[in-house]
Amino acid sequence: MDRRTFVKSTGAAALLAASGGLARPAIAQGSSKVLKFVPQANLANFDPVWGTQYVVRNAAALVWDTLYGFDDKLVPQRQMVESEEISADKSVWTFKLREGLKFHDGEPVLAKDVIASLNRWAARDPMGLGIKAIENELVALDDRTFRWSLKKPYPKMLLALGKNNAPVAFIMPERIAKTDPFKQINEYVGSGPMSFAKAEWVPGAKAVFEKFGGYVPRSEPASWLAGGKKMLVDRIEWIIMPDAATASAALQNGEVDWWESPISDLVPVLRANKDVQVDIADPLGNIGSFRMNHLHPPFDNKLIRQAVLVAMNQEDYMRSIVGDNDDLWANLPSFFTPNTPLYTDAGGEKLKMKNLELAKKMLAEAGYKGEPVTCVVAQDQPITKSMGDVTADLLTKMGMKVDFVATDWGTVGARRALKTPPSQGGWNMFHTWHAGADCLNPAAYPAIRANDKGWFGWPKSDAVETQVAAWFEAKDLNEEKAAIAKLNTAAMDDVIYAPTGFFKSYQAWRKNVSGIVKGPLPFFWGVSKA
Amino acid sequence: MFAFLIRRIFTTIPVMGFVALFVFSLLYIAPGDPAAVIAGDQASLEDIERIRAGLGLDRPFIVRFVDWLYHLVQGDLGTSIFTNLPVTSMIAQRIEPTLSLMLVTLIFAILFAVPMGVLAAWKANSLIDRVIMTFAVIGFSVPVFVVGYLLAYVFGLQFGWLPVQGYTPLSHGVWPWFQNLILPAITLGFVYVALIARITRASMLDVLQQDYIRTARSKGVGQQSILFVHALKNAAIPIVTVIGLGIALLIGGAVVTETVFAIPGIGRLTVDAILRRDYPIIQGVVLLFSFTYVIINLAVDVIYTLLDPRIRY
Repeated sequence: MDRRTFVKSTGAAALLAASGGLARPAIAQGSSKVLKFVPQANLANFDPVWGTQYVVRNAAALVWDTLYGFDDKLVPQRQMVESEEISADKSVWTFKLREGLKFHDGEPVLAKDVIASLNRWAARDPMGLGIKAIENELVALDDRTFRWSLKKPYPKMLLALGKNNAPVAFIMPERIAKTDPFKQINEYVGSGPMSFAKAEWVPGAKAVFEKFGGYVPRSEPASWLAGGKKMLVDRIEWIIMPDAATASAALQNGEVDWWESPISDLVPVLRANKDVQVDIADPLGNIGSFRMNHLHPPFDNKLIRQAVLVAMNQEDYMRSIVGDNDDLWANLPSFFTPNTPLYTDAGGEKLKMKNLELAKKMLAEAGYKGEPVTCVVAQDQPITKSMGDVTADLLTKMGMKVDFVATDWGTVGARRALKTPPSQGGWNMFHTWHAGADCLNPAAYPAIRANDKGWFGWPKSDAVETQVAAWFEAKDLNEEKAAIAKLNTAAMDDVIYAPTGFFKSYQAWRKNVSGIVKGPLPFFWGVSKA
Repeated sequence: MFAFLIRRIFTTIPVMGFVALFVFSLLYIAPGDPAAVIAGDQASLEDIERIRAGLGLDRPFIVRFVDWLYHLVQGDLGTSIFTNLPVTSMIAQRIEPTLSLMLVTLIFAILFAVPMGVLAAWKANSLIDRVIMTFAVIGFSVPVFVVGYLLAYVFGLQFGWLPVQGYTPLSHGVWPWFQNLILPAITLGFVYVALIARITRASMLDVLQQDYIRTARSKGVGQQSILFVHALKNAAIPIVTVIGLGIALLIGGAVVTETVFAIPGIGRLTVDAILRRDYPIIQGVVLLFSFTYVIINLAVDVIYTLLDPRIRY
């Protein structure tokens, strides 16, 4: 080929392209009945009792149904249950299932399935364990009726059965639900609106859900996990994309329809695209956590833990996570989710001080001896990495000696379970965050507990536990609010952990998709695609 | 030759055994706990312990190793801790995209790099040579993910000619399969083209100064024939060596490329498994990579004998 031939050929190719000869491939086209969704993480396992990751819970909500479901007012509503009878003292609960409930294999949903499912769930769930501890019996009265009889009143029964915190009380066929709760199931048959296409599951890449024709939705309008779960698409494909830039490009190119968790850096790019809609994902947001180890110096000293609260500026933490967007964060002098019924900032004064000098004085008064603070910080999670950097700076400015261990989340997960001193593989602090939906009350919030079975960091506070018990026994909202205000005060005083602020995140979808709502998990019922 | 092949294949057995022991030991002492990852944030320490026991991770090192080895010699790589699926079937699910990516990359790289290297050697120290070698330096210097993002932006988002992510199996048609591989193959092949072009140039320069080339020229043999028939074959041994060794480069690059283009291949499987501490998958994949590498080295040795009849084993 000589130079002229080459120029002619490339010119012809350019003309062909310009004239549309190399038309856009069929990459942006897809069936309006197939919804392509990019979840927040890989669906690596699919047992919502054995593995309690949010992504598993979110997928499970498609496949398995619940007896009750939270609506957007945070009230548990009947879902699989048709009616319930409650004894006057709330110690005996009798439930009747709706007629016509079927599993994906065609078998009817019976009371024996519910009992096996509740037994498996209760072995892993904090509320379930609490109920089991006071159980008389859980028995089937007939195919559609079962009774849970307790030794003492348990007013929070419907909350336990309907809560959306993992593990959720999903109902499975008895043969599956009889699996040891500490071993994984390998059959994914539910009675939810979609069935799981196991043959098409490529963990780490793809998970497929198909519309279940035998599902009978309730007649009420859908509201979060409550109401009629009407599916308007035939198939939902979860496409796992570990790289945010790729997911952004795929959404803009029309190769996927809905992205659950775009990072805030890419939101301006998505907003600039006329075909893409961006909005807040979950109004309940998240609470950042600076978790201290109460067993070892220096954070075994309450005054030193309080000094951290006094020095902390939550804005530094929040801006490190969400950047300049003020819509996405708020100060949080509380352990509970803002704008929810039980929210309180009672006792949160120290978190409002932002007083480094006072914190230094408190450290001196507490007798801080310069012990290194082993900060175990996961670098593969942008949120923990950002908070870790702020913490290293904060502690250094306070005059503390920082031993910064940069590692991955898998290592943090293992190391935080060690009670040994930091010098023997233990730790002094790590960062995590809690979904706001988990921090509405103490029921499914182990991070606020301060007893022998407390969460990592192992705080102990009788004052906290007294108020947790008071909340469980509260008879109305006013009593609940009073208990939570005292609980927040006690937890702040003991510094069960240091909240680093409240933050929200975005979701994004193509404008030809409608029916997407804000909530603590992606709700697919009512979502359609033009 | 046959005896050589048999001997080489048998020598892979102790190599694989050593790799197996090394990988297993390394993972045993590595920090991290899959039970803690599985249990999630709501779990108590007792829950984590029970999950660990359920997975058999509380057993002593030697018991776990012997058990794994026992199953391995029967062709059973174990079951994924997280997915509860056999490792062999998970690798089988992922092998096609990775092999496709490597194959297309290899073809693309050889088709472009060898002529570029030959041309650069023929026009040594000219403007063409400098342009090609500048390209090679850029190819080495620009990270794979940067090339990937740029290509996806230009050809996916701006022109809309090609998809920016995903993989279509070959069974769904050649064009859909190829369409998804064009950008990833160019991305992954960029550094490989640079490497092969440089080696080809250096090797060709050496050969082109040999007496027999001067003789061919004096006998009036055409330039094309000199370059591609007489010189290239004799310059091929270092080129084949680099292509063979470069497959290791491809395996490493595939991890990044598969992530950037959301290709469900072995690279992503490996990274996901490492982050979650899914030991059976990590062990299985590392063994597979080691075995592949041994086989590639063997293939390179065999190709030597075809290129140069003087080489005998």
